Amino acid sequence: MGVMSKLYAYLYLRGFKVWISYRTQAALTMLSWVLPVFTYYFTGTALGNKLVSGLGTGNYTSFMVIGLAFQGYVSSTIATVSQRLRNEQLYGTLEYYVLSPSGILGFLVYSSIWGFALNSINAAVILAVGAALGVRLSPSGVLVSSVILALLLLSTFGIAAMSGAVVMVTKQGNPISFFFSTFTTLMGGVVFPVTILPPYLRYVSYAIPLTWALEGLRGALLYGEGIAQLLPVVAVLAAFAGVTVPLGLFSYRAAFDRARRDGTLSQY
Amino acid sequence: MIETRSLVKVFRGRRWTVEALRGVDFTAPRGSITALVGPNGAGKTTLLKVISTLILPTSGEAYVDGMDVVSRAKDVRRVIGLVTVSDRLLYYRLSGVDNLTFYGILYGMPTSYARARARDLLELVGLGEWGEEPVMHYSTGMMRRLAIARALMHDPDVILLDEPTLGIDAASSRRVHRLLGELSSGRTIVLTSHLMKEVEELAGSIYVMRAGRIVARGTAEEIKAMAGRIVEAGLKPEAVDEGLSKFVVRSEPGLVIVRAPEDIIPESAVYVRDVEPTLEDAYVILAGEGGADLRPYQFRRGGAHAHGGHV
Repeated sequence: MGVMSKLYAYLYLRGFKVWISYRTQAALTMLSWVLPVFTYYFTGTALGNKLVSGLGTGNYTSFMVIGLAFQGYVSSTIATVSQRLRNEQLYGTLEYYVLSPSGILGFLVYSSIWGFALNSINAAVILAVGAALGVRLSPSGVLVSSVILALLLLSTFGIAAMSGAVVMVTKQGNPISFFFSTFTTLMGGVVFPVTILPPYLRYVSYAIPLTWALEGLRGALLYGEGIAQLLPVVAVLAAFAGVTVPLGLFSYRAAFDRARRDGTLSQY
Repeated sequence: MIETRSLVKVFRGRRWTVEALRGVDFTAPRGSITALVGPNGAGKTTLLKVISTLILPTSGEAYVDGMDVVSRAKDVRRVIGLVTVSDRLLYYRLSGVDNLTFYGILYGMPTSYARARARDLLELVGLGEWGEEPVMHYSTGMMRRLAIARALMHDPDVILLDEPTLGIDAASSRRVHRLLGELSSGRTIVLTSHLMKEVEELAGSIYVMRAGRIVARGTAEEIKAMAGRIVEAGLKPEAVDEGLSKFVVRSEPGLVIVRAPEDIIPESAVYVRDVEPTLEDAYVILAGEGGADLRPYQFRRGGAHAHGGHV
C-alpha cells in the first residue's frame, strides 16, 4: 500500500504530471528517442552490409536497435537522478524530502524508478521502431535478458547515487553524470562494437556495466542465448552491482551528512 | 516543547569561519507562539534549522518534545512541520491538492487519505476554491498559506515558520495571523519575523538575537521595558551621526525625527518629548538594525575562529 502510494506520488504526480506539463520538452524528448534509430539505420545502410558485417555485428540494424534501446537506462537514469536533485535544490524542496519519513533514500529510489520507467517507454518505442525496420527478437531470450536488465539497473542505481552525491557537493558540474551520459554511447558498444576501439579504450569500455549488459542482451534477444552461455556476463554485472550499490549509498548518505554539517542543504 | 542549551553552530569554509550560533539557550513552550527576532544573519534561521534537524549543531544540546535533534533526528522530524523562507518551496506545475497529496504520501499516508486531508487543509488556509489550480497561478500570499498547509499535513506538534508573512499583503498576513493563533492551541509554534507588530500580536514570548546570541527574552511588555526611557527628538540633519542613524523614524523638511534613549540625544535637538517605547524601539536598541557595526558576524581570512560581533 505504502509502495503503491509512493509510486503514485513519485511517478505520476512528481514525475509524469510535471514532465508532461512542459509539452514542448516532452515532445522533443520523445523525438530524441526515435530519431537516432533512423540516423544509425541509414548510416548502416549507407556503409553497406559488407562493411558492417565485417565488424562482427551480424545485422547492424539489430545491433544498434538493442544498443539504443537499453543505453538510455544508464545515461538517462543517472542524468535524471542528478537533475532531479538539482531541481529540488533550486525549487527549495530538497529540505522537505530530508524531513519526511520517506527521506533521502526514498527520493533516490523513487527518482531512479521514474528514470527507469521513462526509459522503459523509450526502450519500447525504439524496439517497436526496430521491429518496423525488420529487427526480430528471440522470445526465448526474454527471461535471461530480464535478469541482465535487472542487474544493469542495479549497477545504474549505484552510479546514480554516486552522481547524486556529487550534486550535493558541487551543485553544478557533475563528472559522473557527464561521463555516463556522454562516454557510454561512445564506449559502451551502443552503436558499434567495442572491438574496433584501440586496446586502451577497450579496457575503459569493459569498466562500464553497459558494455557487458549490451553484449548479454544482444546474445539473449538476437541469438537466443541462454543463461548458461551468458553466465560470465551475469557474473560481471552482479560484481558491478555489488560494488556500485554500497559505494553509491555510502557516498550519497555521506554527501547529505556533509550538507547538514556545512548547512548547505538549501544552497544551490 | 523546544529547548536548547548552550547551542553552538560554527560554519567553516576553506578560508573563513562563521559562528552562527554562540551558546544559545532557548525555550519554546507548548500552547503558545514564540518569536525569534533579530537582524539578518543574527542566527534565527540557523537556530530553526538546527531544531528541525536540517543543520547539525557543532556543540550544545537541542530537544524537541524531549527528543535530541541529533541522536533522534528521525523521531524529531515526525513531530515538526517546517515552513522555510523561499520564493519557491512548491511544485508550481502541480495543483495545490497535488502538492499537498504528494507530501502527505511522503509522510506515509495512503493516497486517498492524503488527498482528503489536502482538501481539508486547503479549506483551513482559505484556499479551498483554488485546490485544483496549478500553484503557478497563485499569488505570493496564497503560496505562503499553501506552504503552511503543507507543514500541517502530518499534523505536527511543533511548527517552525521562517518569516511566514514575508512579501505578502496585509489581508493575507491577517489570514496567516488568524491561522497561527488557531494552530497554537496545544502546539509549539516558533516563528521568525522582522515585523514587530506581527510579533507583538502573535507571540507570547520573544527572543531577540544578535550575532548568534540571545540578547533579550521576555514578553512584549518585558522587552519594551528593557528599552528604558525613550524620547522622540527632532534633530537638524547634520546632528545625526552614525550612532543615531539607526534610530531615525522619519524625515521632515529640515528636520530628522529619531526615537532613541534619552541619553544619546544631543543637546542641539530642536525638540525632545517622552514617548511610550514600542517593541520596535526596544528591538532597535537591543538588536540593532542596519548599521555596518551591527553585522552579526565577521569573516577572518585564514583563521580558525571568527571574531565575534557586537553583543
